[in-house]
Parts: sequence; structure tokens; C-alpha cells
Amino acid sequence: MKTQTLRSPSENASIAGEKPMPKYIRRSLFPLSIDDPELGGKAQASWADAIVLDFAKKPGCDWQEDLKARMPAAIHAAAKGGAEVFIRINRNAAAAELDAAVFSGISGVVLKGVTAPADIVATAGRLDALEAGRGIEPGSLEIDVEVDTAGAVWHSLEIARASRRFGFFLVNEPALCRSLGMQSAPALEFDPLEYIKSQLIAVATSVGGQAAGMSYPLGLRPEDAGGDAVKAAVRRARDTGFKGALCPGASWIAACNEGFRPTAEEADYYVKVIEVFAEGLKRGMASVPIDGKMIDVPVDVRAKLYLKWANRAQARDDEKARAHE
Amino acid sequence: MAETVNPRRSWMIVPAHDPAAVMRYPEREPDVVVLDLEYSVPPRSKETARAGLGALINKIGDSQADAFVRVDRDTRWADVRAAMRRGIRGIVFPGPDAPEEVVELDRLIAAMEKERGVEPGRTELALMLESAKGFWNAASIAQASPRVTALGVGRIDLTMMLGPVPQDEFRLYRFLMTRTLVAARMLGKQPLGALWRPGSRGGVATKDATARAAREASLMGFTGCVCATPEQVAPVNEGFAST
Repeated sequence: MKTQTLRSPSENASIAGEKPMPKYIRRSLFPLSIDDPELGGKAQASWADAIVLDFAKKPGCDWQEDLKARMPAAIHAAAKGGAEVFIRINRNAAAAELDAAVFSGISGVVLKGVTAPADIVATAGRLDALEAGRGIEPGSLEIDVEVDTAGAVWHSLEIARASRRFGFFLVNEPALCRSLGMQSAPALEFDPLEYIKSQLIAVATSVGGQAAGMSYPLGLRPEDAGGDAVKAAVRRARDTGFKGALCPGASWIAACNEGFRPTAEEADYYVKVIEVFAEGLKRGMASVPIDGKMIDVPVDVRAKLYLKWANRAQARDDEKARAHE
Repeated sequence: MAETVNPRRSWMIVPAHDPAAVMRYPEREPDVVVLDLEYSVPPRSKETARAGLGALINKIGDSQADAFVRVDRDTRWADVRAAMRRGIRGIVFPGPDAPEEVVELDRLIAAMEKERGVEPGRTELALMLESAKGFWNAASIAQASPRVTALGVGRIDLTMMLGPVPQDEFRLYRFLMTRTLVAARMLGKQPLGALWRPGSRGGVATKDATARAAREASLMGFTGCVCATPEQVAPVNEGFAST
């Protein structure tokens, strides 16, 4: 008789290899305007994982009708390089802006100015209707939150839990500093947003989402950054727990794509860890040494997760490369 | 965008049982004179301090500084009754744990305003978070009464309760300050606090250490702090000047 191994759902979910790590590969989120005549070219040349589309309401005309007429083509253009496309929406006018801007082809919306979970609930409700009315798969559109207010920080857990659509926190450091009355020039020896960033990473992860942000001081003075400074800052941000960053300029994108993932050396090391630990298990050992370090179950699990992350990042790069062919 | 809700930079603590010490305050030019009924008053002098509040508030009320009274958490009811006089600008309530305590104090103040002829609703509340419970309830506590205009970190009590032993970088305190700042800014209250380093707070802080603590707090988004000694007022005013 065949013996079945019975597992509870939580046991199944805890199997390391089945955990998404991370859920999304969005290392670089690049804002572009739909009014930019070179939108398609810039999006394709950027190699960003995601394009965040901004729009201006044209005066002297019905801005909603104008946007509805232009948005589908803009979404198509932004996706040319294989990027996911998001629309940035103002919380204050969310319903009207969603009606005018949400069309097939986007992955979701980035909501800015959020102060309370009710903002997410209202947006989710509007997306339900728009998905139904515009031929978009029900429940597929994501809500990402640009964290730029004190209220968004304070209510972050309730905000992240407010809808199954929640995907990302994107830290907008200059705007958040203004909301908190902080000096937005990086004049302190430490990152005044350190604890806020930690909170957002932990909260987003707790609901299966992620957080995008940059390390201090680059998040507050992007204009001064050189290539090496961006690379170093991305590494610090990755090591803090961020999975990507909102890129103020195209110059950040390559560093973000390369930095917000395990390095090739790290991936090689994880492969070695997994192989050596598996061999040790066969020999009845609970832990094995590699290069003077002890490898046990948690280290093995982490290696599998991070290797999966590296593979998924590589797959995303391959996907974008195909879009460029 | 956040705005400076309140320009009160220096909240100078003076022992209410010592009128001579109190009345030297103009030499220091604090924005707020906090007549203390808490730590700086010996237990045996509490009644004397309460009895003398009226005269002191009258004198301070005629000056540029605002007169607040810091009550003792354990005797706050009697302290508020003694403090409520024409000319008082507000009460500093140290160590609130729950919104209900603020609501209760709000009602007592309202009753005393009516009884003593103080303009209804004029008396403010400045809350100093001094317990882990109060710290965690910061937003609900600060929203418990429209009188609450300032929210601060009661560093010594709060960190004493949490029990860190900082040697150099006091990272826990930065967390406490950050979270208090977020609550205060979210609710439009004045954030009070200074980035005191280990070994340099309150009565033992040098002028330079005080100026640095105030300046760094200002960069973090705070707009004022409590001064435990008169000597701290000038560097605090200077440190928060940019706000």
C-alpha cells in the first residue's frame, strides 16, 4: 500500500522552494509622462522593469475624455521594452483619474497621497468596476502605494491589509520628508527615515507584498549621484530589504536591475550551499561546514530562496531581451 | 506638506515651589515657561507649589512667554484644579497611557475653565509620551481631545521603562522619536523632542550638546523640546531657529 505524506496547508506553504522570493521582479520603476513624444523610445531604451505613467490634465478641454483617447496608445508604447506598466493616480481625485486612465495592458496603479486604508478600499472598489467594464481580468490590477505622507506611514499595516490588490510600497523620500517637516537635504549623519523604511519593508512583506526604496542619502539627493554611488546605494538598499526603487532618472535603472538581485557570486555560493547540504543530509548530518561557516536548515532554505530570486531576475531580463528583438 | 504648527521652541521647566527661580525666566527668554508640579518639586513642597501657581501664572501671562503647568501623573486631578487660572495657556501631561485619560483631563479642564472664567477651549494640552503603552497609543491619545496641540517624547521615563543601555549610538531613541514625529505630523500637532546623546541629556547636557541635540531634532522634523535647565534655553532656541 502506498504511504501518503499528509501535510496541512500551512506546512505546504512553508516549503522553502515553493515560497515566492520575491513575489515580483520590479527592480527599477521608471516614471515617464504620457505627454512625452518619445515615450515609446525612452521606455524601450530604459530597460526598466516597470514604467510608471504620469499624466497632466489638459486645461480647456474635457481632461477625462482626452485621457481616455490617449491612454491606450501610451500604455502600448510604454510596454514596448517588455516593462510592466503602471499608472500613477492622485488619491484626491482617484475615482475620476481611474476612470480616465485604467485600460487593458497595465499591471496596476500607483496611488500617491494616501493617508488611510479607506483610500485603498475606495480604489479597489473602483478597479472592480473598471475591470468588469473594460475587459480586464477580474482582480488582476494591483494597487501600489507611493508613501509620501505621515498618515501612510502610521497606517501602513492597515493600508497594506486593506485590499488583496496591494502589491508595493514605494518610498518617495523627498515628499515624505516634507510631510514630516524633515530637512529634505541629507544633513544628518544617519538616515532619519531608517525606521520608517524598516517598518514599510516588514509590513509589505507581511502581506505578501514588497517595498521599493533607496538608501540614505541617495534617496534624498538623486541629482548628485554618480554611477558608483548609485551602485553602492542600491546594494545598501537591497541589503536593507528593498526589492527595487523608483528611479528619478534613466541613469539609475541599470544599477537597480543589477543590484536588486543576488549577484552571480552569491548565486554560485548558494548553489554550492544547496549541494553540500544535500550531500550532508544523505550522510545523516544536520549541519555541514563550508569555508568555515556552518550550513544548516535555515541557511539551506535561504540559499534556495535567494537562488530562486536570482533565477527569476534572470528570467525577467531574458523576457525583456526578447521584447527588444 | 507639513507646516510648523506652533513656534514654541523652548519649554523651560521651572520648579513651581520656588517663585524666585521661576521669576528669573525672562533672563533666558524661553518660548514657554512650564511651571512644574512633577519631578523638580519635592513631595513636601507640592502643596506650596500648587498654592503659588495663581500668582506666577498672572505674572507670566503678562509676558511674551506662554505659561503651562506640568502636572504629576499621579496627582493630575488636584494639580489641574490648582493650575486652572486666567492666563494659563496649557497643561503638560506627562505619561498618558490611554485616550480615556486624556478625555477625562479634557473634561476636568473644561469644567475648570467654566468655573474660573477661562475662555472655553483655550487651555491646551501637551502630551509627553513616557510609557511603552502610551507610546504605542500615541495617535489615539493625541486625537482624544482637540486641546492637544503638542506631542513629545519623554525620553528619560520612556527609555528607563524600555531598558536599553546605550553606550554610543542611541538607536532605540531614534526609533521612539521617529514614531512620535510621524504621529504628531499626521495629526497636525507640534512634535517635541531633541536628539539627546547618551550621557548628555537634561541637567547634565553642555551648551554644545544641547545645541546639537536641538539642531539634529530640527533636521528630523521636530520644532521644540523641553529644557530641564535654564542654561538649555538659548541653545535650544538657536537649534530650532530654522524651523
